[in-house]
Amino acid sequence: MKKIFLLTVLLTISAFASLRVDATYSTMGAVAQKIGGDLVDVQVLGRAKYDPHFIVPKPSLIAKLRRANLLIMNGGGLELGWLPPLLRATNNPAIRNGAKGLLDMSHYVPMIDVPTSVSRAFGDVHAQGNPHFSSDPHVVLIMAKAIKEKLIALDPDHEATYAKNYDTFVRSWKTYLANFDANMLTCKTKKVVQYHELFNYFLDRYNIKSYGTIEPLPGIAPSSKHTIALINIMRDNGVKKILQDVYHERKTAKFIAAKTGAKVAIIPHDLGADGSKTLQEFYNKIAKRICQ
Amino acid sequence: MMKKIIGLSLFTCVTLFADADLDALKQQIQQQKIIMQKLETKLDTLSKKQTQMQATQKSLQARTPSVNTSASFSQNAYLPAIALILNMSAVGRNVKNSDYANYSIPGFIDNKKGETPELPFNKERGFNFNYAEVAMNSTVDPYFDAFAIFHLHPDHLEIEEAFVRTRALPYGLRVKAGKFRSAFGRINEKHQHSWHFDSQPIIYKALFGPDGINDAGVQVQWVAPTDTYVMAGAEALQGTNIRTFGGTANGTEKNNLYVGYFKSSVDVGDDLSILGGVSLAHGQHLGNTSNVYGTDLTLRDQLGGYSALIWQSEYLERHMGVDGGTTNKQAGLYSELIYQYNNNYSGGVRYDAITKNSADLSGYAGVDTNNLDRYTAMLEYHPFPMSRLRLSYSYDRTKVIAGARKNVSQVMLSLNIAAGAHGAHNY
Repeated sequence: MKKIFLLTVLLTISAFASLRVDATYSTMGAVAQKIGGDLVDVQVLGRAKYDPHFIVPKPSLIAKLRRANLLIMNGGGLELGWLPPLLRATNNPAIRNGAKGLLDMSHYVPMIDVPTSVSRAFGDVHAQGNPHFSSDPHVVLIMAKAIKEKLIALDPDHEATYAKNYDTFVRSWKTYLANFDANMLTCKTKKVVQYHELFNYFLDRYNIKSYGTIEPLPGIAPSSKHTIALINIMRDNGVKKILQDVYHERKTAKFIAAKTGAKVAIIPHDLGADGSKTLQEFYNKIAKRICQ
Repeated sequence: MMKKIIGLSLFTCVTLFADADLDALKQQIQQQKIIMQKLETKLDTLSKKQTQMQATQKSLQARTPSVNTSASFSQNAYLPAIALILNMSAVGRNVKNSDYANYSIPGFIDNKKGETPELPFNKERGFNFNYAEVAMNSTVDPYFDAFAIFHLHPDHLEIEEAFVRTRALPYGLRVKAGKFRSAFGRINEKHQHSWHFDSQPIIYKALFGPDGINDAGVQVQWVAPTDTYVMAGAEALQGTNIRTFGGTANGTEKNNLYVGYFKSSVDVGDDLSILGGVSLAHGQHLGNTSNVYGTDLTLRDQLGGYSALIWQSEYLERHMGVDGGTTNKQAGLYSELIYQYNNNYSGGVRYDAITKNSADLSGYAGVDTNNLDRYTAMLEYHPFPMSRLRLSYSYDRTKVIAGARKNVSQVMLSLNIAAGAHGAHNY
């Protein structure tokens, strides 16, 4: 009797065995959940309300990483300020740098804004290029493919399920994209400025030109001199939109708006940064706020 | 161009079907949009193809053999990450340098017994260049990481830390071997440049000297496979700390220091995290048993994107045998509150105290040896995460100088930079 009980317990455990998947940011986490379905248990490490460069390396994150079978990271230097000490402390060889269980998304996404020379004299420049590719809804397809391949490599027994989930998701996402792109053709906003170069992938995709950033250099707080220069650039070029992220101070953007008659739009940089619950909601919000 | 086409087609649509009903028109516009869309993707793929072709042409051109014969054995890609840390200060103090270099902390650093405080940092009134540190780390192979900090003082070189660390052990285990800062307590493992205050907490200074517990040995750490962070660690060290773990009566004949600790952390909601730990260091001091018990608690409340409140406290108690069979029981604590306003500015206060001091204080006849404490306040400005200016004031009531209590007031402006490939700090 006991044996049977034990056996059932064991069987149920193995039947519902799931891959523990950690994602550094929410958009990639949501895509992983779509591809993995019931077979994965996704945890997101960095809350979307915070600056993705400055996630606090809380010890609770070490516990989250300890049993992970797969860690999906953004890469491109975005996690440089917080993930390495956590990975060191977690003692989990499955996801260490170079292991099969570490998926660096920046190795799959064609990076833009790759600097030709790198020095910290230019501020917090990412040597591998602009890492903020989550703003482009087309990148979701690249993420989905990379995640599908990785899940199959780690859990080949469920290859069919992952492949099926992937097909379903990609089909629906392509339909969504067709509609999304068509709507973006009617977007009236063609000129913007941003706080940080956070939305370049989206802007590039839809031919919207960014005329500058509120911060004088990446990671450097706004200065009055730079703000005046930016106001002049906006006036000269008729820029009427300021893209503000959810986590930086908004005073400077409001000041610039008052001086130029431009509108400040709060744009989420990651799923959930501004209340969005699904991928669609997230990208719809970006489009709506930029084009409005 | 695109715009013009759209405009033109819209215009044609409008003129041609001016009389048609509105729905049909809308449908037509929609269709036009889709066609545009398709054209655009076609254009996209074509331009991509073109760049690809150009790239292949380029790579073909690049295949002309290079004559850089030395590159056959180049290992530049495997160079370790190197960082440079510089620390300096300007100090104003109401005590002469010669007096300050000979201060006593009653029961801990006793000038009458020939003990002097080691003062590697910020010793002089006026300018101090404290150190240049070269930190290197590299992955050795699939099994080991190596890490070293070469601490260059103006007059000597010190290997502050140099160790190898495993990277592939199963079951949440990790082993470190070499010379390293023990993970005892909260602050011991951290380097001076990553503390919230330039000066070491009094109790650490009194018990372990300026380097803390930093010794040759091995460390094993284990992270529990639980949803809550639980870490246990054990260390076997040589025991060369002259203040508390100074080895056997005849010097250090064999390793004699053992350290163990538990640390755990919970989050309350999204923004509040609590980290606590208990530690024990068990060793020998001049042939007598010496134990240090430590407990620490850190609360961090994230107030906004870049703003946080950090409250960090530690209590250390030493039970050290002395010749004659008695055991001295001495303890102290520090508690600090840091307010980080944003990435550029923060400020904080710290209270330091010796809370228990049952030791031989006969050398201090006529001197009040109670109420040994210190108050410190600081303001910090980070132009960038890699550089820091810090202004601090401390009022120190723990010092006995030339046979009398002397309260030391100190103002200090310090500058610290971390250039190059300097890794992120722990929590």
